[in-house]
Amino acid sequence: MRLLVVEDESLLLQQLEQGLVKHGYIVDVAEEGKTGLYYATEYDYDAAIIDLGLPEIDGISLIQKIRAAGKEYPVLILTARGDWQDKVAGLDAGADDYVVKPFQLEEIVARLNALLRRAAGFSKPKLEFAPLSLDIAAKRLMVNEQSVDLTAYEYKMLEYLMLHPGQVISKTELTEHLYAQDYDRDSNVLEVFVRRLRQKLDPEQTLKPIETVRGQGYRFSLAES
Amino acid sequence: MTPQITAKNYSIQSRLLISFSVLLFVFLGLTGIVLDSAFRNSIEAGAAERLQVQVYLLLGAVEEESGEFYFLEDLQEPRFSQLDSGLYGFISRASLGELWRSDSALAFSLLDAHIFSEPVAVGEAAFSKTMSAEQEEYFVLSYGILWEDGISEYSFTVMENAAPYYSEISNFRTSLWSWLGGVALLLLLMQVLLMRWGLSPLHQLARDLKRIESGEKDQLEESYPRELQAVSKNLNVLIETERKQQDRYRTTLGDLAHSLKTPLAVIGGVMQSLAGKPDEVEQQLDSVNEQLARMNQIVTYQLQRAVKSNNANTLARQVNVATVLQKVIGALGKVYVEKGIKIETQLDPKAIFSGDERDLLEVLGNVLDNAFKYGRQKIRASVESIGVEFSGLKIIIEDDGPGISADKQEFVLQRGARADTLLQGQGIGLAVVTDIVGSYGGEIKVESSELGGARIIILFNPAALSG
Repeated sequence: MRLLVVEDESLLLQQLEQGLVKHGYIVDVAEEGKTGLYYATEYDYDAAIIDLGLPEIDGISLIQKIRAAGKEYPVLILTARGDWQDKVAGLDAGADDYVVKPFQLEEIVARLNALLRRAAGFSKPKLEFAPLSLDIAAKRLMVNEQSVDLTAYEYKMLEYLMLHPGQVISKTELTEHLYAQDYDRDSNVLEVFVRRLRQKLDPEQTLKPIETVRGQGYRFSLAES
Repeated sequence: MTPQITAKNYSIQSRLLISFSVLLFVFLGLTGIVLDSAFRNSIEAGAAERLQVQVYLLLGAVEEESGEFYFLEDLQEPRFSQLDSGLYGFISRASLGELWRSDSALAFSLLDAHIFSEPVAVGEAAFSKTMSAEQEEYFVLSYGILWEDGISEYSFTVMENAAPYYSEISNFRTSLWSWLGGVALLLLLMQVLLMRWGLSPLHQLARDLKRIESGEKDQLEESYPRELQAVSKNLNVLIETERKQQDRYRTTLGDLAHSLKTPLAVIGGVMQSLAGKPDEVEQQLDSVNEQLARMNQIVTYQLQRAVKSNNANTLARQVNVATVLQKVIGALGKVYVEKGIKIETQLDPKAIFSGDERDLLEVLGNVLDNAFKYGRQKIRASVESIGVEFSGLKIIIEDDGPGISADKQEFVLQRGARADTLLQGQGIGLAVVTDIVGSYGGEIKVESSELGGARIIILFNPAALSG
């Protein structure tokens, strides 16, 4: 999952970045609205975290511009003042949820997970594709109610595919959402992950949850249960 | 307590009216007195002149023989021969008293007959008044002459009843004073009308200021008379400055919040990264964390309180409650979209909140946030104008959550009294709501809703209910 974080307080930004990376997110950061707007409109993110009190372009204008540019990924706002004027204005401008400063990283992560899940059209906290069940909050995969261990990258890939069921996801898109920008993009690595995932999810090869669409990418093909 | 009326707080209108009335009465009174006395004088002068003519008449017709006076022919004035006609002629000599009287005066007697024994200088007429025995007033003119023999001095006296003259004077007086009274009333009336017209810009100013106070208007209009334009312009500047100051006050506090809370967030982050250390350190970290949470809560609470409670009712603006409520519901609906809560609203589209929109947002935001948080499937919100001229406002928010037990209903509202007694995780939302509502002189009540959860009732301007 690739996130954009726009926050002008560099220490807080650094903490957020480190914390979110630790939770398995790919994080792009911007310290002011202009850079934030550039990233937000040039790249495709899964979600953005935007502080309302930004210099130059303030948070609310930034959200409006992102929405005007047709970007529909969920936006979480951070507000220091915590008054309803700010919250309502932010949500009105197109944000989806808010967190009042100071906050615990866990709160941000929980809200983000909920937003990502909602954006993918899931209303329950777990993604259920029988016999698979993925708990986004706990980052745990169950197959036939048995826990299956996944590496961080395997989990990220599966989560992304399961949040976009039935859609063909290109290798480029996967790379963008799973790796930091400066990562060496070698598509062979993706193929290795997919192979390993298939083995873990479906050792007997009866389900075939991840299809390869020739020349286009991969598709998660189980039906939601 | 009724305000005591002293000379200091007479209205301009009564000041002008009182001074004008005094002026009017003095002026018209003096005019009346002068006119009255002038008329009286001229009537008396006229009477004297007529009596003089009668004296000449007597003089021209009188004959004398050895001290006896007689008239050969009838006098031209018939009233001298008519008994009690009111016009009487006398001839007298100072040393001898009355020598002759006209036929008309045969039954006439004076209260005091000494005028006949007083000498009148020759060729001079003395005009005076006297009383008859019947207490009637008479004009008297005595004329002194030197008889043909060159020795004897006589007085020719004519008296005429003054009553007809007096009744003329009194008629004049009646019409004079009623005219003057009428004029005074007319002038007073005109004065009141002129004053109304002249002072109407001041009344307008007062009305406009009231409207600004209640939020119906933003600024005074430019259409005041020249004399008031300086005042209205200055007031506009003052209002604008005051509003800007309020804004600046809020912005400053908001910035303060921002600049305090971001470091708090950073420290919190650092603390978190230190977690998982040996037990001893962990314990200390816990207490630092606790203090951090308290600091944060106090900052939040005190800032919100400071921002809100100072500006209620000063230069309010009118806010449409339904619009703001819809906005908050829209925003919260987004946040709590997963709960799929059904919202029933009953909104009076004309309901107005006289105050700052931010305060209303804060009140509705906090109350509705609780409803969304604790409600299970349903929230009901109603807004209505109540009381005299619909100047009161009643907002009810209810949900179907677990509700607030009767013994805690008072408590959740009062808790704001001391922020530092709050436990971690306790909301400050309702305490802030209570503060804001209180600063507008409103009331807030917590009850149990028929939906099963809490029912929060907020009344603004509750005085409108009792009238």
